[in-house]
Parts: sequence; C-alpha cells; structure tokens
Amino acid sequence: MRRALLFALAACVAAALAFPAGAWAHATLLQTSPGVEKRLERAPATVTLRFDQSVKVLANGIQVFDAQGHLVSGPPRVSPTDPRVVEAPLVKLPRGGYTVRWAAISNDSHVGRGIFTFGVRAAAPHLSEAYGATGPGTSEHVVRWLYFIALALLSGGLGFRLLVLRGAATPEAERRFYRVTAVGVIAVLQVGTLAFLLRAEDALQLPFTGFLYGDLSPFAKATRFGQAFVAMELGFAVVAALLFLAWLTEKRALLWGAFVLSLALGSGLSLSSHQADDRGWLPSFADWAHLSAASLWIGGLLCLGLVVWNDRELRRTAFWRFSEIAGPLVAIVVAAGVYMTFKRFPAVHDLWSFGYGRLLLVKLSLVCLALSWGAFHHFVVRPRLDNPGVQRRLPRSLVGEAAVAVSILLLAAILVDSKPPPKPAPQPTQALSARR
Amino acid sequence: MQPPAEHVHWLFATGILFLGMLLVAEAIVGPEVWRRRKWRAYLWPSLLFGLGVFMWPVMVFFTNSTIHMLAHSSWAQMMMVAGAAELGLVSGKLKSRYWKLAVPVMLAVAGSAFLIHEANPWLYSRSAFVHHLCGWMLLIGALFPLGAAFKTRSLFFKAGYGLVVVAVSVALFTSRDVAPVFGHLSPSAGVAHR
Repeated sequence: MRRALLFALAACVAAALAFPAGAWAHATLLQTSPGVEKRLERAPATVTLRFDQSVKVLANGIQVFDAQGHLVSGPPRVSPTDPRVVEAPLVKLPRGGYTVRWAAISNDSHVGRGIFTFGVRAAAPHLSEAYGATGPGTSEHVVRWLYFIALALLSGGLGFRLLVLRGAATPEAERRFYRVTAVGVIAVLQVGTLAFLLRAEDALQLPFTGFLYGDLSPFAKATRFGQAFVAMELGFAVVAALLFLAWLTEKRALLWGAFVLSLALGSGLSLSSHQADDRGWLPSFADWAHLSAASLWIGGLLCLGLVVWNDRELRRTAFWRFSEIAGPLVAIVVAAGVYMTFKRFPAVHDLWSFGYGRLLLVKLSLVCLALSWGAFHHFVVRPRLDNPGVQRRLPRSLVGEAAVAVSILLLAAILVDSKPPPKPAPQPTQALSARR
Repeated sequence: MQPPAEHVHWLFATGILFLGMLLVAEAIVGPEVWRRRKWRAYLWPSLLFGLGVFMWPVMVFFTNSTIHMLAHSSWAQMMMVAGAAELGLVSGKLKSRYWKLAVPVMLAVAGSAFLIHEANPWLYSRSAFVHHLCGWMLLIGALFPLGAAFKTRSLFFKAGYGLVVVAVSVALFTSRDVAPVFGHLSPSAGVAHR
C-alpha cells in the first residue's frame, strides 16, 4: 500500500515536471514620465514608460487622449539605448487633462496593460474619470451597499456586544455574536477587494483576461480610493485577528480593540468620499460620524434579530438597553446628515433640480420612516414589553425596521458613487481673497 | 519604496522554515512528548496564523497585476484560516476533527494560486521555476496533512507534512527575480539584472 502511494506521488511529480505551463509573461511598469496624476506647468514632448524587463511595442502601445478623446500621441517605439524603456512623441499639448493608456508585449506574447493621467497647467483627471471610463454602474452600487452592510454587521455587532449586552451574554448568544461579526469582517475584506478591482476595471476598460494582468499600482498608490483601500484592508485584517484572539482567549479587552479599530477604519470611506473634496477636517469628520453612528444603529438592529432573539430574558434586556443608546445614535446620524446636506446644497432648489438631490430626498423620506418606527418602539413598545401580544408581534416589527435601514444603506451607496451638484463659482471678491 | 519581490520571498521563507522545523520536531518526538509543555502545542498554529496576517501587506502593496494581488490575498486568508482552525483545536474551542482538513485545503489552495499566478514556463527564469516547484510541492504535499487528519498517529504523514513545508521554504530561499536556472535563462526574460 505504502509502495503504491509512493509510486503515485512520484508519477505526479514526474508529470508536473514533464508538462510545463503555457508561455506567458508580463512586464511590470516601474516608472512613468509624466508621473501618475501629476500636474505639469510645461507640456511634455514625450511620454516614457520604464519596465522591469525588455518589452516589445505594439502599434497602440502608448495612446494619449485629451479630455474629448482626441489622440495626441505619435507611434511609440522602444528606446534605442534601453530595451526596457518605451516612449511616444506628443503633439504640442494645450492646457488640460490627459489620459495615457499603455500596452506592452513580451517576447512570449503576453500583453500587460495599464492607465494613468496627467495635467498640463491644469489638475490631472482622477483615474476613475480618465477618458474612456464609464463611471460607477449598478455593480459598484451593489458592492458598496454590501460593504455598508458588512461594516454594520462588524462595527454594529461589536458595539452591540460591548455596549448593549455587556456582561450578560449567554454561551449561545456569544456563539451567535462571533458568527455575525466573523461574517462581517470576512465580507468587509472580500467586498473591499472587489470594490477596488471594480473601480480599477472601470478605468482600465479591459476584457477579463487582460484585466488579470492589468497594472493596479496607480490606483493603489495615487488615488485616495486606493490609499483608503490599502489602509482599510490592512486594518480589517488586524480586526479579524483581534476578533479571533478574543474568541480564543475569551478576553474582552481584545474586542474593545477590534471595536475601536473598526470604527476608526470607517474614516477611510469618508476620507476618500466627496466630503474630503471640501477644505478642512469638519466635512470628513461629519461623514465619518454619520457612517459610524448609522453602522452602530443598523448593526445593533440586525443583532437584535440574529444574536439574542432565541433567548427571552436576554432579548428583553437587550431591547431595553438598545433603545437607550439608539436615541443618541440617531441624533448623531441626523445632525451630521443635516450638516452635510447644507454643505452639499448651497441652494434649496438643488434638492429637486439635480439627480443627486432627488436621491437624497428619497433617502431622507426613508430615514424619516425608520425614525418614526424607532420612536414607536421606544415610546410605545418598550413600556409594554412584558405584554405577551407585544412580544409576539415585535420580531416582525423589528425585521421591518431593519429592512428600511438596509434600504437606506443602498441609497447611501448610490449617493456616494454619484456626483453632487457643482459648487457655485466664487464671487470676485472671494476669488481675489482666495488668490491672495 | 518597495523591497524587491525576492526579499519578500526570503522573509516568508524564514517564517515557513521555522514552521516546517516545528512540524518535523513534533513528528519526531511524538505528540505526547511535544505537548508536555502546553504552550508548545500552540507554536506552529500561531506561527501559521501570524504568517497569514503578515501576508496582507504583501497583498495591498504588490499590485502590479490583478492576479498577483488575488494570489497573495488567497495565501493570507488560507494561512489565517488554517492557523485559526488549528489553534481552535488545540485550545479545545473546536471539537470536530473535520477542522483538521483546513490545513490540506490551505496547501491545495496555496499551491493552485502559485501555479495559476506564475505566468511563465518552468525554465523561463529561476523565479518561474521556484513558483512551479512550490506550487506542485504544495499541491501534492496537501496529501500528507490530509492523511494525518484521518491517521492521527502516522509518522509518515506528519513527517511528510513537515518536510514539504521545509522544502517549500528552501525553494523560496533560492528565488531571484530575473536569474538563470540550471544555467538557463529564457531570452524573453531580458537581462539578469538582480
């Protein structure tokens, strides 16, 4: 038997050595000139790409487009002095933003592709707004929505365990809590990667096999979205480790670490959102407070159903305590939301004259519905919690409130991916003082 | 400034070598002797879990192609899951012995990721050779922990598992990005610049 097993192993090894994989290669882009998303004061004469290995050049190996999609580059060539460098001449570029799409082929036929932007006497377009990019679509909205739900399960689940249940959890509730937060943290990591890939794929505009070898470095290093992705993936990996160690060692201090870190990491979304376009820290802080409070509220609602609903006594305690903290959370959500609305909409009519404003109105009406539902639970249901009829009907009512809250997250996801109304042009005196 | 890919390979090779040596030591002395000190039971699962956590920076910083990023992500997650499952088993938090299958699944997924993301043939360069070698060693080596999951006292399966891990670490130590293998370097690999 053992001899047969060894023979089978040896045969597998021999087969692996005898049949090597297909021949593909891909070169890695080390440096570009102009740099990624750089603003230049003088128009460059050429675009240059430096790879880590020698490459062949395709007829469309470097294509530079202006904002209207006109080709402004000449035929590319490999540098005569260095086979790892490819360059393409440019026409005399006027002021504006430009998109560079490149493709490099190795001698064994694999094609690597990438994109970057630069500006001449103007800001470079963001990579997500490069020429050819179509902008966020339905799949990006859904992915962002899933991300919000995952974040709510993670942060809200941790908040529910530490602030609502405190020391009162039964072993069954504890098991359910770890399952919910494990799903949350795994989903945050996976959906975060998917969101990053979708954003890059939209700008690269490549078929699937080409995208597998697409260069994502400019997105990870030169965009706020990419930098947030890097920080959040690293941070949530640490949160996953803390969560696991808390389960293993039964040390609640580790849960506090995971809770604080997951709330702090939510700021990555705010710092890469529209709010970060405004000057100062307050809009980003308001966005983060809005997101964190909403995650705790919605995650807490979901945990009421998923973690404690089988245990009558624990359910009663949890419902009572959750009602106490839901009020302040909702106040933060509303206050931060109102502040951001005033920041985003200088004129009231923007609310109905722009698609972004109309979406916000729908979201606000759903928020009003959820708030009314929450108020009903707080003021009407809570004093009657011992009534058997109320206890029987309450689960359905909580599921309804949670469903409205999850719908709000979907609208929030679409809003984050949408363009807010443009800011009004500054008055001459303001413009003058700003220039000074 | 990123370190060259081979430096990262060497760092992980060091961790994997320790992991393999612990596994071989446990197989040689047997579980009774190995677990006379309780902390020793936690040693290699903790190391595996830690290596998984440290793979995340590699995933987010080495983004020169989508497929590399996904390969590193799969290694990070599989090492964390397998380490966590073993830690759960030794601590008594997990009872089902099917959790023992996490390690062979990890090796199989890790090996597949090596083979899928290495785009060049065996003799393209030393790095390509090492990737193919590691991939097949992990894929076939997954049979050892699989056997050990069902024949828990088998020295053959336990020692085989440890030796596969040691062999993978040695292979990773030989990784150089563009360097010849057995005196051969594909002309399409360019000049051996490191």
